[in-house]
Amino acid sequence: MTMKDVVTRSKDVTLLEVLDRVLNKGVVIVGDITISVADVDLIYLGLRVLLSSVETITHLRGAPIEGPMQEPT
Amino acid sequence: MHKRIETDSPGVFIEELKKIDDTLPKRIDANPQNVEKGLAKLVLTLIELIRRLLERQAMRRVESGSLTDEEVERIGETLMKLEDKMQELKGIFGLKDEELNLSLGPLGDLM
Amino acid sequence: MRVYLYAIIDSNDKIRKAIKGLEKASVYNIPYRDIGLIVSKLNGQVQDISIDRAIEHEGVVETLMEDFTLLPVRFLTLFDKEEDLLSVIKGYYSDFIENLDRLRNKIEFGIKVIWPGNTIRERIMNNYPKDDYPASISGDSPGKDFIKARFKRYKITKGFEDEAERCIAVIDNLFSLSVTEKRLERLKSENLLLNAYYLVEKERQDDFRRSFEQLKSSFNDFKYLFSGPWPPYNFIIPKVI
Repeated sequence: MTMKDVVTRSKDVTLLEVLDRVLNKGVVIVGDITISVADVDLIYLGLRVLLSSVETITHLRGAPIEGPMQEPT
Repeated sequence: MHKRIETDSPGVFIEELKKIDDTLPKRIDANPQNVEKGLAKLVLTLIELIRRLLERQAMRRVESGSLTDEEVERIGETLMKLEDKMQELKGIFGLKDEELNLSLGPLGDLM
Repeated sequence: MRVYLYAIIDSNDKIRKAIKGLEKASVYNIPYRDIGLIVSKLNGQVQDISIDRAIEHEGVVETLMEDFTLLPVRFLTLFDKEEDLLSVIKGYYSDFIENLDRLRNKIEFGIKVIWPGNTIRERIMNNYPKDDYPASISGDSPGKDFIKARFKRYKITKGFEDEAERCIAVIDNLFSLSVTEKRLERLKSENLLLNAYYLVEKERQDDFRRSFEQLKSSFNDFKYLFSGPWPPYNFIIPKVI
């Protein structure tokens, strides 16, 4: 590995560490019941099913995005 | 970003973490065509989990020597049938082994 | 304008630092009884949610952790207006207070360990005694053959996991004196032996770092990763619904 590779990869590792926490952990505020089965979170907000993979979100550029935890009616 | 990582082998860790594919949250795809498949995946994952636990339980009993010859034979045949059934179900829904992501924590990956 | 939530802090005062959050909006504190809700305003159409935004979010939280005890909130927590946020928070208040009290002056560190899992499993496989089966599976028949194959696999896996447990115990032990809580993820993959989250009192962090130095010289062909300090993402005890 060149020094440049190490620096680049170190940034990637830092990114993975940040994302692991910010996307998956921390306080979760929900307006409805969270069901968690076999490590898959299903969060039902009325009839909507959560989509919050960052990749999915980047594909939705330009479309209005609803946040995962929403306003109570 | 603040510097807060220390490792000699960042490349190795990236490889491993990518393999796990755990850093992005798993969600059911809301695309209507995929909802069915998503639900099938969920149900089959549960069944596969139970099947594996049954198999592990059977192994423990075999190990303990508390089973008779006939019991071993019967359990073996039952487990075989269960597995065949799982393959059939996976085939019907077009799901591959890797798609049923069973990470059982302390039990590791029984696959 | 929506309200984007970053964290819960143990102060209902205005924050003194000028912090910029998503869309370069000013981050401010909404007081609620004895706690504060760290938010910023967000445009109705979120055009540009991406990894960069997640990093911005984390940046806000990291700046705040210097001055406050805080509970970091998961990325993408949005409310239409402040009133909605406040009415939801009502139900979480006592849980937040409990968590804030428990996590005061504590920070999180991450330790990851990679070991040569493939090699170790192979070694165990090669050392597996031929035909080492309990008496009850002697003789050939379809059921028994199936059990034999599975039994061998079971024993090898068990040997592998026992080996992992032994190594994890040694590693975890190095940190036990300086941590107050821990979450260990064992064998997330064949080679990722351990993914550990440790909660450490701020005053003990040097001890903790020294333990990591010790760890680096523990097993020859293992690889180690240290990360932190982080806000206590992995140590929030959630509200039981």
